[in-house]
Amino acid sequence: MNDEWEEVSKDMEVFTVTNKDTLINHNIRLLSTKEGYPRLFFADLETPVCADGECRLAKIKIYWNLLGNYVGYGIDPDEPLTKFEHDPFDKEDYAKLHALLLDDNSVLRNREMSELVDEVPVSISKADFGAVDGISSATKKEIKESVVQGGLYSCYTLWHLVHGEVKKNISAYLQSIYTDSLNNYLLYSDYEDYQYYGLKKLPKEAFEKHFEQVIRIFEKTQPLIRTYILKKIPNNILEDRNNTEQFYRLFSRTDINTKTQLVKKAGSAHLIALEILSGFSSEMTKNQLKLYLEIFNENPENLTPLIKSNLLEAARSEKYAYNYLIKEFLNNKE
Amino acid sequence: MKEHYIMNRTNNSMAFYKAKKVMLLAMSLIIFSQARAQQVLIEAESFIDKGGWVVDPQFVEQMGSPYLMAHGLGVPVKNASTEIQFKKKGTYHVWVRTKNWVPGDWEAPGRFRVMINGKELKTTLGTMPGWSWEYAGTTAVKSKKVEIELVDLTGFNGRCDAIYLSQSEEQPPNDIKELAVWRQTKLGETTAPEKEETYDLVITGGGLAGCAAAIAAAEQGLKVALIHDRPLLGGNASSEIRVHTLGIYGKFERILKMIDTEHYPNGSSEAKIDQEKRDRNVKSFKNISLFLNWRAYDAVAKDNLIQYVDARHTATGERIRFKAPRFVDSTGDGWIGFWAGAEFSYGRESVDTYGEAWDVWGELWSPEEADDFVMGSSVLWQTEVLKQPQIFPEVPWAREVAGDHSAIAGEWYWEFSRNDLHQIHDAEEIRDHMLRAIFGSFANAKKLEENKNHKLQWVSYLVGKRESRRLVGDHIFTFKDVQEYTKFPDSVVMEIREIDVHFQRNLRDASQPDFLSKAIFYKTDKYYIPYRSLYSKNINNLFMAGRNFSCSHIGLGGPRVMRTTGQMGAAVGFAAVLCKKYNVNPREIYTNHLKEYMELIESQQWPEN
Ligand SMILES: Cc1cc2nc3c(=O)[nH]c(=O)nc-3n(C[C@H](O)[C@H](O)[C@H](O)COP(=O)(O)OP(=O)(O)OC[C@H]3O[C@@H](n4cnc5c(N)ncnc54)[C@H](O)[C@@H]3O)c2cc1C
Repeated sequence: MNDEWEEVSKDMEVFTVTNKDTLINHNIRLLSTKEGYPRLFFADLETPVCADGECRLAKIKIYWNLLGNYVGYGIDPDEPLTKFEHDPFDKEDYAKLHALLLDDNSVLRNREMSELVDEVPVSISKADFGAVDGISSATKKEIKESVVQGGLYSCYTLWHLVHGEVKKNISAYLQSIYTDSLNNYLLYSDYEDYQYYGLKKLPKEAFEKHFEQVIRIFEKTQPLIRTYILKKIPNNILEDRNNTEQFYRLFSRTDINTKTQLVKKAGSAHLIALEILSGFSSEMTKNQLKLYLEIFNENPENLTPLIKSNLLEAARSEKYAYNYLIKEFLNNKE
Repeated sequence: MKEHYIMNRTNNSMAFYKAKKVMLLAMSLIIFSQARAQQVLIEAESFIDKGGWVVDPQFVEQMGSPYLMAHGLGVPVKNASTEIQFKKKGTYHVWVRTKNWVPGDWEAPGRFRVMINGKELKTTLGTMPGWSWEYAGTTAVKSKKVEIELVDLTGFNGRCDAIYLSQSEEQPPNDIKELAVWRQTKLGETTAPEKEETYDLVITGGGLAGCAAAIAAAEQGLKVALIHDRPLLGGNASSEIRVHTLGIYGKFERILKMIDTEHYPNGSSEAKIDQEKRDRNVKSFKNISLFLNWRAYDAVAKDNLIQYVDARHTATGERIRFKAPRFVDSTGDGWIGFWAGAEFSYGRESVDTYGEAWDVWGELWSPEEADDFVMGSSVLWQTEVLKQPQIFPEVPWAREVAGDHSAIAGEWYWEFSRNDLHQIHDAEEIRDHMLRAIFGSFANAKKLEENKNHKLQWVSYLVGKRESRRLVGDHIFTFKDVQEYTKFPDSVVMEIREIDVHFQRNLRDASQPDFLSKAIFYKTDKYYIPYRSLYSKNINNLFMAGRNFSCSHIGLGGPRVMRTTGQMGAAVGFAAVLCKKYNVNPREIYTNHLKEYMELIESQQWPEN
């Protein structure tokens, strides 16, 4: 779990949500620092967990981050969660529950409670057909593997509480208290989801001002967010040599989809982009290389001596499967 | 080349399909003499006995021809052989058009040799990257009849497009455009096929959509041609790809039950049972002329009306020109529309284009800026457990893709999409990437004691596609039509199955294998697709049915499943009937004959109870 809770000293009820299945109202609280900066959302829940007509009360404290993403939970040791036949959860069970709750796309997501009954093939929609391009016989196994053994109903109930209405409400609430400084807090935090949110909210024009942080995020983050950055970054930022260099020297360390985007952008970036890429040409896929070489067909003046000599080297590399394409390209240029 | 904006065919892409293939004469070869030398060109796919090699016609538009492939799952396949006539004895140079399908720092996986009159030429082929003519050496031709064989050395997908024997040392061209011209001019192939046939309706692509269109039109008396590039009908639902059909029947239960599948896991061999049913039913219509193993390669429009579709037999090379007042594109890839100049789209639209946001999923669902992260293609596969231990060879060339991933079966989520790969232009690379994923993951699994008796039973060599070109109609079906349950005056297709849109796992976690995907589901009540999404906006006699219908990327998420695409086919078939009755184009069914059309469709419904 995030360690924000250490800074927390204020606690305020912000809204309630009603569980559609149980009709119970749950109070959602916002935890803030003593200066009043929001940090976490929190709920102290009691919810019945029912299986085969028998219900028990589960008591659990749930924490969400500011975006409504689940971060952790707490259980009173005297009131453990229970599974089939009222056995208490053991340590592994708690860890498994945590892993399940962290998965926003869990196999439980689109299931009705009634669809979880064992032995019956899992049908995921109102129609009476079984597997889908997306769901299959593998699913039942997947469900079994993702939940605590004997604790399917607890897991199901809690997953839907954590990922249901609350999330939407938190989103809406965050909007209502949104400020630029809150966005800066998110953008400069170490959490990927915060950074992503910060980037999404950041107007294109502000990229320049936050360039150092953008690059820092770009270097470490997941491919999806890298892709997002490269799409959003305004062209004028990459007209600057230093900025361009900072992106392109990371080429080798980025994922394959990001590499494609870097190559695609290179033609409109500072010339240094093409030079740096020439040193990495033997790391390109066939189509990336084709895209890269195409830039010189369109603008032959960009084929500097340095680029040419790097390309020659890649063409000579026996290990590079597409060296023949570079050879062809260079031959055509003679 | 960027394609995700709606656009007409570009000159660039014209080159692909203009790459035409030689026409083969009855003897399955062409002999031609020039003043100086004798030359013989043999198309591998026309070999009389294909042995264990399979004909692969999937990538004609990119590499120029169907080819033979040694798909032996690691066990060398039986020789393919053919016999040819030589006019002149002497020494011939031998070139073979092939490729090393996994170039790299290892022995090429698909190696093979050529044998002439029982004597193997020493050069191992399939070793150069990219499709090219590899020199196999010389052979002395001493008799008029010569037997040529392909000798597979690995069982791992060696491929042979053509063999060229010549007394001259001049190598045939490698450049795809030059090669097409070379083939055409040297062989004196005419531009137009000599044979011409005329129908009421010409349907290209025999997936569920094409089959349903053919049946609906034929039931009402139309003379129909169904052109399909495989020996078996059904497309992704066929026993060659083995995806089972999902979705509801809508108004067309009777027709769709003739061609759909039972429920079974994707990849199951049970697909064979439904295959027999489907083939039998479609063949039972006397007025459906079935052209199995025929692949369309061109369609030409004049004044926005398609004049004809040209197709070629995938093995013999024979050609036919198909004429009709109206055409259906159910190729899945929108080929007919593309060739004819129909507007189409490719890729993911920006979220604002049609207002398709789903905040919970953000960029994974619909991006702020358009891009090419379409849903990927799959290759399904299965293993069996035998009583005895089974050996599987080392596959060092697969490691780069499979990494440490280990698996003994595939499923729908074995799926591949990458932003530098186009689902049509790079389909061969996508298929090959999946083969490496499969062979590599299975080889890893085989290292475990528990899998020692496992054997690869079946790996499809056909790539199962989800998303490629979408032809643009008068209505573009989008997520909004689902969310708002829009009821159209021309609602002819309906569905209740949730939308599912896939993304590659490695987008969120770079450590995941690049060949696995995840699905995002959006639950829905019944939604409708209008007839106006089933005919082209600018090509006035073109219908489309199947996953290349008029929709956005997210719009395709739900109705791409095959009972839904089947509904589209049936709806189009019935529309074609009224088009003939009134001698009008598809659009006029909507503008002038909607009532009658909707009644015809309603009457297809089984009576209540
Ligand atoms: C792995 C996988 C799992 C899936 N899971 C499901 C599922 O569980 N249930 C479900 O219903 N759907 C599923 N889908 C989606 C569904 O299979 C596709 O959307 C399907 O392709 C739609 O059918 P279609 O008739 O439009 O196209 P296709 O099935 O692709 O049929 C078109 C046919 O036209 C032929 N063709 C193409 N070009 C030419 C030409 N030029 N000349 C002649 N013939 C040509 C092709 O060979 C092809 O067979 C899945 C897809 C994949 C890949």
